[in-house]
Amino acid sequence: MKAITPAMKPELKKPASRFWAKFRQQKYLYMMAVPFVLWAFVFSYLPLWGWMMAFQKYKPGKSFFEQKWVGLQYFRELFQDEQFFNALRNTLAMSLMGLLAGFIIPILFAILLNEVRLQVLKRFVQTVSYLPHFVSWVVAAGIITKMLSTDNGAVNDLLLSLHIISEPVQFMAKGNLFWGIVTASDVWKETGWNTIIYLAAISGIGPELYEAARVDGASRLQQVRNITLPGIRATIVILLIISIGHLISIGFEKQFLLGNNLVRDYSQTLDLYALNYGLGMGRFSFGTAINIFNSVVSVILLFTANGIFKKITKESII
Amino acid sequence: MTRKTAKPYVALMVLTLLLSVLAGCGGGNNNSKNTAGNTGTEAANSTNAAATAEATEAAEDLSPLTLSFFAEDPNPNWNNMKDEVSTVLTEKTGVTLDAEFAVGDPQQKIALIAAGGEYPDIISAKADIGKLVDAGAVIDLTELIDKYAPNIKRVLGDNLARAKYTNEDQSIYAIPTWAAVNEKKFVAGGGFELQHRVLKEAGYPEIKTVQDYENVIKAYLEKHPTDENGNKNIGVSLNADDWHMYISVTNPAVATTGGSDDGEYFIDQETHEAIYHFRRPEEKEYFRWLNHMNDIGLLDKESFVQKYDQYKAKVATGRVLGLIDQDWDYNDAQQALKTAGKFDQTYGHYPVTLTSEYKETSFWPTGFMGGYGISISTTNPDPVRTIKFLDYLASDEGQILNNWGIEGKHYVVENGKRVVPAEVQDRINNDNTAFTKETGIGFYWNMMVHYGDGAKDSTGNYYTKNFPEQLVLGYSDVEKETLAAYNATTWKDLFPKEEEFAEKAYGAAWNIALPGEDEVSILGNKMRDITWKRIPQAILAKPAEFDKIWDDYMADLEKAGVKKMEEGYTKYVQDRVELWSAK
Repeated sequence: MKAITPAMKPELKKPASRFWAKFRQQKYLYMMAVPFVLWAFVFSYLPLWGWMMAFQKYKPGKSFFEQKWVGLQYFRELFQDEQFFNALRNTLAMSLMGLLAGFIIPILFAILLNEVRLQVLKRFVQTVSYLPHFVSWVVAAGIITKMLSTDNGAVNDLLLSLHIISEPVQFMAKGNLFWGIVTASDVWKETGWNTIIYLAAISGIGPELYEAARVDGASRLQQVRNITLPGIRATIVILLIISIGHLISIGFEKQFLLGNNLVRDYSQTLDLYALNYGLGMGRFSFGTAINIFNSVVSVILLFTANGIFKKITKESII
Repeated sequence: MTRKTAKPYVALMVLTLLLSVLAGCGGGNNNSKNTAGNTGTEAANSTNAAATAEATEAAEDLSPLTLSFFAEDPNPNWNNMKDEVSTVLTEKTGVTLDAEFAVGDPQQKIALIAAGGEYPDIISAKADIGKLVDAGAVIDLTELIDKYAPNIKRVLGDNLARAKYTNEDQSIYAIPTWAAVNEKKFVAGGGFELQHRVLKEAGYPEIKTVQDYENVIKAYLEKHPTDENGNKNIGVSLNADDWHMYISVTNPAVATTGGSDDGEYFIDQETHEAIYHFRRPEEKEYFRWLNHMNDIGLLDKESFVQKYDQYKAKVATGRVLGLIDQDWDYNDAQQALKTAGKFDQTYGHYPVTLTSEYKETSFWPTGFMGGYGISISTTNPDPVRTIKFLDYLASDEGQILNNWGIEGKHYVVENGKRVVPAEVQDRINNDNTAFTKETGIGFYWNMMVHYGDGAKDSTGNYYTKNFPEQLVLGYSDVEKETLAAYNATTWKDLFPKEEEFAEKAYGAAWNIALPGEDEVSILGNKMRDITWKRIPQAILAKPAEFDKIWDDYMADLEKAGVKKMEEGYTKYVQDRVELWSAK
């Protein structure tokens, strides 16, 4: 930035005309951007008005001015509820586990795939690995519960026949396994798909670098460490920061579909909590309060992550 | 060169994008105009209502009218009014319904409807009516019923008082269409279920207590541990997915220990004080028995893990010997067994209690329950025609149309008696889904004010098809054989009769609608979460640990404020007793 500023100085004399000149020159680009700016405004900024609900005792059907203001009452209720902290813990734990697994495994997988010499095999493995991405969670949850079932479940049958366990394990009934099951199913479902973007980044690395390394006698591992990984570093950082932004809004599909009453202490996420104790009971204000909390934490996490990366890598996406 | 050709494309693209945005906005405008129009007509209607009253009396308005309708209960067979009964209905009233049924959690859908402000014209919101009343989404029907609904008035009679909302607000927001008038139940769909083959093998012993129930299952399982394909037979499977937990796990605890079904509460019949029913010591013993069943391997290990569809699939294999459920909850699976011809693997109902000192309470009479009903929204374009439509359904003609179908087609009158022809009955028994879809018989049961089973019309025929002679026609030969072994003609014969109980003064507590923001509702949700976690834990624990888990469970409830909730709920019950006893 600093390097460019002096060069721009003379142009700053008539900023308005410069701007309009540029605008005329790029008018198609601006026009193409208009729909998306509108879209973002309508769907991401207009709804923020609804945040007011969290500070009112909101009753549907009444106009905004007829609502009763209650200040921070709903936030107080929220922070006094044990279940909320439980839900927060589950959300953060599962999203951190998901983040780590969903971040490291696709990169490793992409590198491994990249090293496969036989093109046919590579394509085949890649296609098979991303197929589960197109299966909806409802179906995936059904498959997972059936696989882990004690009644002719494949996993139990396998473990039994290998004499690792002596009687079937109730995987889905053990709370301490739940986070792991969710993370593992997420990895199974999404790894292949997430690999695509890394594979694309890898294919963007010039082959002459590898050729030069080979001439210098670098082993394949050394090539991976010194060429492939640095080559996709930017992609990795951007994807990581974006996924940190989504850390707290992991949704509830997986937990809702895979969970049951026995593992509720481990499966209730913030979104599920908002659904059960907010919207489901017609407590719109309370639900909104949870949501505001969600957004605030997300923003803090995002800026922290970005700050840390800026320090380490001197790169920033914001 | 490239610039020249690129330009038109760019312009075209920009234009398309802009147009799509404009189209989006345009749609929005239209909508708002429409709603404005609706509210306009509604206002006009209410002012004209009185004036046109006599006019419409003279010439019934049968011009086509489409009303939107939302129901909390799903109707998978709904055929968009293309079925035979609905066609007649449209002919008689001019009304076509554009129906939507709740998918997933109906409470949330009602909450959305209340918040969204676009109300369906007719809403059946069951226990969630409070949300709509709070939002001002439904109208008071007292006057409409009085002026335009002679049939509804006639059928309900004094019971109309039980439709009032609360002591403070005595409006009628929902016409009670769930509760049946003059009902004498004939169908026993609850209790504990056993496959017919299990009893045949055991020589039809008496099944009265959980011990009897356990013994026959145990004996059968010892002899036949697997089915013909080598898959394990299962003793008892519970259905614990989400709200099915109430039906299959927690309500039976009340029914087997002599309590009447009042939802999550046990209500003292004298003082009308409510306690959270799990806190009764008797019920601890019931759950101890389930724990014991699990310990000896008779309880399906997956009971608390499986989803509803997995449960149904399991039952449909015929491997599950016993159920603790309601027939409507496992009926799909049983139909599959029937279609496959495995009649000895379908289920009968038995009045099982914890010990012989208790009476099974399935038939504890509630009187007319009021409660759940059908409402007309404030945005309904024509409340008068709507109420007339509902009134037609409540007429003898309408009720018989819904319950029996069309004369000469689905039933015939022989010697003054309504009879279902053999070939129609055959389809009802063996091809039920397709038959229901085609005919639409029964679709309007919960839309109309109706007489219950056992009530007779002026010709001396029953209003519904559920009377002993007709019921027996729906039984399979195996079912009849089992019943004969117990000297009974219907399952109900096995259960304690209505006359053995004193009628409840408040109907049933489970259909008292609480406002969502009320502390009792919030506490209720918390208790439910604790219960749904602790009960499975207690059942699946080693018997030695059962007492400790149960004590922890009770302590959790106390800590979460169960006493406060009970006090709050007691107030609601007592209020209802007061509201209903004041005529």
